[in-house]
Amino acid sequence: MKWRYPFVFSFLVLLFVLIISRLFYWQIVKAEMLSELALSQYRGLIKVLPKRGEIKTSDGFPIATSKVTYQLFINPTEIKNKDQTVLALSSLLDITKASVSALLLPDRLWVPIKSGIAAQKKEEIEKMQIPGVGFEEQYTRFYPEASAAAHLVGFVAGDGTGVKGYVGIEGFYERLLKGKERYSVELRDSLGRPIISSRTSLNNGSDGGNLFLSLDRSVQFLVEQKLKIGIEKYEALGGMIGIMDPQTGNIIAMASSPAFSPAEYWKYDESLYKNPFITNTYEPGSTLKPIIMASAIDAGIITPQTKCNICEGPVSVSGYELHTWNDKYYKDTNMIGVIQHSDNIGMVFVALKLGVDRMIEYLTKFGIGKLTDIDLQGEIAPSFKPRSAWYDVDLATTGFGQGISITPIELLTAFSALANEGKIMKPRVVTAFENANGEIHKIPTKVTSTPLTSKTARVMTEILVNAVEKGEAQWTKLKGYRIAGKTGTASIPVKGHYDPNSTITSFIGFAPAEKPKFIMLVILNKPTTSIYAADTAAPMFFDIAADLLSYYGIPPNE
Amino acid sequence: MKKAYILVIILLGLVFSLAVGRSILQNMLSTSGIFIGKAEKEINFYKTQNAILSEELLIASALTNIIEKAHKSGFVSGDALMVIKTSRPLAVRP
Repeated sequence: MKWRYPFVFSFLVLLFVLIISRLFYWQIVKAEMLSELALSQYRGLIKVLPKRGEIKTSDGFPIATSKVTYQLFINPTEIKNKDQTVLALSSLLDITKASVSALLLPDRLWVPIKSGIAAQKKEEIEKMQIPGVGFEEQYTRFYPEASAAAHLVGFVAGDGTGVKGYVGIEGFYERLLKGKERYSVELRDSLGRPIISSRTSLNNGSDGGNLFLSLDRSVQFLVEQKLKIGIEKYEALGGMIGIMDPQTGNIIAMASSPAFSPAEYWKYDESLYKNPFITNTYEPGSTLKPIIMASAIDAGIITPQTKCNICEGPVSVSGYELHTWNDKYYKDTNMIGVIQHSDNIGMVFVALKLGVDRMIEYLTKFGIGKLTDIDLQGEIAPSFKPRSAWYDVDLATTGFGQGISITPIELLTAFSALANEGKIMKPRVVTAFENANGEIHKIPTKVTSTPLTSKTARVMTEILVNAVEKGEAQWTKLKGYRIAGKTGTASIPVKGHYDPNSTITSFIGFAPAEKPKFIMLVILNKPTTSIYAADTAAPMFFDIAADLLSYYGIPPNE
Repeated sequence: MKKAYILVIILLGLVFSLAVGRSILQNMLSTSGIFIGKAEKEINFYKTQNAILSEELLIASALTNIIEKAHKSGFVSGDALMVIKTSRPLAVRP
């Protein structure tokens, strides 16, 4: 009987050792895993997506905003009747049965089916109470004015890690617009219901900021409408119009055609995403003449009364014979007449007098050959060829806007110096930024350069008013208003020569000439009813200018 | 001896009442989740409705829509409508 006591004692000790070992295993070895398991039962990590900021026009209307949509997902393990579910979803969501069916693999717990579902559609689906179907709230970019100002605004697309803005304002101000994700932890009761007192935020996320544009929605709308009518009327391949306030550099409107719909950008060719006003280069032709002429006047080389002593016929420079655009020549014409007749030989005279060094110096001062730094994504600026590569013929042709490539925004900005007492303002689209706390920060205007004296700018303005009054486009001018402007019929270089049958026609000008409210550049790409700017771009310019002067309440002064 | 007995009773009573108080408080906190859940659901509902109404308001006040309505009512010509909404232009990807 004596063995029973040690036996029971040993058994109990062994039992205790086993229990302690097990406890050691769970409490020490597996402690981390168990606490994580426990946390996952009563704690939930909530990801709060930031709302992307709005882009508002000058009247406060959000031209780009975010709307609540839903992503439909399915838990295949909860589906009771697969065929019925597939049929219902394919008809409701307008997708093929095969694509829904292929996604419903039984080993998956969460299968996204379609994004961007509108709230009404979601309610409709919810009423059907399909087992396994759920929704997740998300934001989708929404453009209330559809494709209006598409090139300027840009678009938003998924990049694998979330959504991201591309081109235009959406691309340039991506960091300000996108906001920051918020993460918070909440404790839940045994049934998974949230306990509000325990919710804590893990980081300082915030919604995206709002941007206020200088863009005038009514003017933008008007310009897009006129551009469409102009392209159809003159049977052009495309066109673009930019309007700026020369005193501030504010872009009032910017339109290009063909365009795309930002909400359905994927349906359009990628080449259409670029804003041609800041990315397309072309030879400006005669619209560059006032800049060259103003440079020469500013340098004191010529005056408006200076007579051209080579204008009686074609001239030969470095073996190249140069002509006027219509082969008409005006002997001893002065500089006012040179601009009025858009006389290429007169401009050769001016350019040769200016010389290569001063030509490069002034063009640089006007911002030609460098970025304007407009706050839009994708701007380019072709640079000049090196000084050593400039020959006399290059100098001569640059005088009348050939052999030099620029973007429309470069020309518009450079020309604005004539309308703003010789000063060039940095062009901008965004005038203010509002952060997530509602604090508004105004962006100050900036003078980028002063290529001319105010006197030269005024003299050149008068020369341009005369060009409008008596030049080729006088038939379409506005009666009663003094408008300064210049036509430009640019040849298109093709395989080493200029295409004789197609041109890029343009008109640039500002109004009223005394105190300009706007400066506008109209460009038509390869119009076919006429290859001349005086017959195509000029009437478009004056048609829009008439509406703008009326819109701004500026009465005729003559 | 009697004092010690009373002290023990008081301490036991205190422990008991604190335990009960704690249970009531925990219970209140945990069950408040039901109300919170309901309230959050209601807030989300109104948020959604608000978002839908905002969207409708923006569409209604968009110049694109106004000009379309004006055209239907015979106030402006069809040429005035130029934005891409549903139909695709020539430049669309094939």
